[in-house]
Amino acid sequence: MDATIKIYRLLVGIIIVVVCWILLPYISPVLIMLILAFIFTSIFLPLVDSLERKIRNRGLSVFLIVSFSIVAFIWFIGSFMSNFGLQIKIFSEKLQKQEFSNSLITLWNKIQVMVPDSIINIIPESSDIITSLQGKLSNIFQNILGLLSTTGNIVFILIMTLIFTVIVLVEYYSFKRSMVRFIPNRYFEIGLRLIYNIEQQVSKFLMGQLLAAFTVALLSTFGLFILNQMGANLTLIIFIGIIAGFANLIPMVGPFVGMIPAILIAIMNNLGNNAAMGHYLFGAIPSPFFIFDIILMFIIVQQIDNNFVTPIVVGESTGLHPMIVMIALLIGGTLMGPLGMLFAVPAAGIIKVVIQEITFVSQNSHLL
Amino acid sequence: MKPLWENYFNKNKMDNPVILTLQTIPIFKDLTSKEFQEISRLVHKRNYKKGEVIFKKYAPGEGMYVILSGSVTIKDPDSGMIFASLSNDNFFGEMALLDEEPRSAQAEATSPSDLIGFFRTDLKSLIARFPEMGNKILLNLSQVLAERLREANKLLEENSK
Repeated sequence: MDATIKIYRLLVGIIIVVVCWILLPYISPVLIMLILAFIFTSIFLPLVDSLERKIRNRGLSVFLIVSFSIVAFIWFIGSFMSNFGLQIKIFSEKLQKQEFSNSLITLWNKIQVMVPDSIINIIPESSDIITSLQGKLSNIFQNILGLLSTTGNIVFILIMTLIFTVIVLVEYYSFKRSMVRFIPNRYFEIGLRLIYNIEQQVSKFLMGQLLAAFTVALLSTFGLFILNQMGANLTLIIFIGIIAGFANLIPMVGPFVGMIPAILIAIMNNLGNNAAMGHYLFGAIPSPFFIFDIILMFIIVQQIDNNFVTPIVVGESTGLHPMIVMIALLIGGTLMGPLGMLFAVPAAGIIKVVIQEITFVSQNSHLL
Repeated sequence: MKPLWENYFNKNKMDNPVILTLQTIPIFKDLTSKEFQEISRLVHKRNYKKGEVIFKKYAPGEGMYVILSGSVTIKDPDSGMIFASLSNDNFFGEMALLDEEPRSAQAEATSPSDLIGFFRTDLKSLIARFPEMGNKILLNLSQVLAERLREANKLLEENSK
């Protein structure tokens, strides 16, 4: 009888797995929305709870926190896009003028003197680069429009995620109670413990990461400000700082992503500026457009973050082995691209907690 | 005869058996009706069959139970000694609200029972969201435990004579 039940359970299990596998392509957008909603809920929950404590109205607390976040997000994206668009427009106008083509050729000649012939042969001629750049920049706005149409799907996912997040935040405790109702009596207390520990770990991890991102944004902006004092002529430093802070949420890859806008803007702003083109880092290392100064500044910020900020705010409890982080990033990146990389580490953290709790339960199984 | 007009907005709140039972428990003494409604949204209603174990001795304790209906015995499974037989409106396991120490006895349903579970995680979220209510519950809980300690001391004193 026991063997029959086991075979029956196994068959049911196999059927469920096969059905899920078949349905996965159809339900994966919904799954992404739910996972995103869960992450946003974990970020907003402590804020909503503390506001509820003050104004004693959960619905209003959720409304205020979510509205404020949306307004801040739209303001940031809107002003960044318009400022960056303006920057590109000015740069493309500059590039169309002959004197900037000449300054690029001057720069190219300077580089040719400094760099060995074997490397120079690999790089195409400067006139080819300028022609291709001019051609490509004229299409840049068309490319942006194309990008906007493909992001329509992402906007839909974001709106649905927002709706899910608001519903879960308002009804969080009732929702949680309804979920745990299905846990059998025998595993009820341990189930509650598991859910609570996962909540705590995720919340602690996300808040820690956000705090670390905020610190990186602040330090990067400050660093860029100092570089400006030294004549780097960088614009949009607050935006670059915020991008660097958020890019920092993606371990290992993020810091390099954060440097790119700063380097691009440094090149755009300083093209034709002989002082910037002939700049030397510490008066010894050639650093045209302050590129190596920017890289050094970001490395210093990274070191401060990795050695002081993250260990303090994220703490040892959520610490994963670097090897596990790399594997998680590779899996996340393969499955979902940059978004997958962003969520890979918190997901690995949750799996770690679940494994810890399963070990705890198996050690105490005689007590259940 | 049923009244022709009823206050339908308050009907559910007043008739909720969970709230009515919680109002009789000293740990929830002095709470306002709004606070009782908040607690009733947090607590977990569980059903146990006759003979079903609610928690075992030495199991990690997570919270307390209030008996809505049915009966429960608290006993030592090793010696078979029964410490208490509890029924409607009684509560047990309240020490687990304060610490994570293993359970000191086993609880078992002696008849089909409906219990209300109030757990440490619920108390923590109450303290975080409604500190005033959390403080009231903690104060009541310490009064219950102080009373238990006083009784235990008295018993020890009597036995030592």
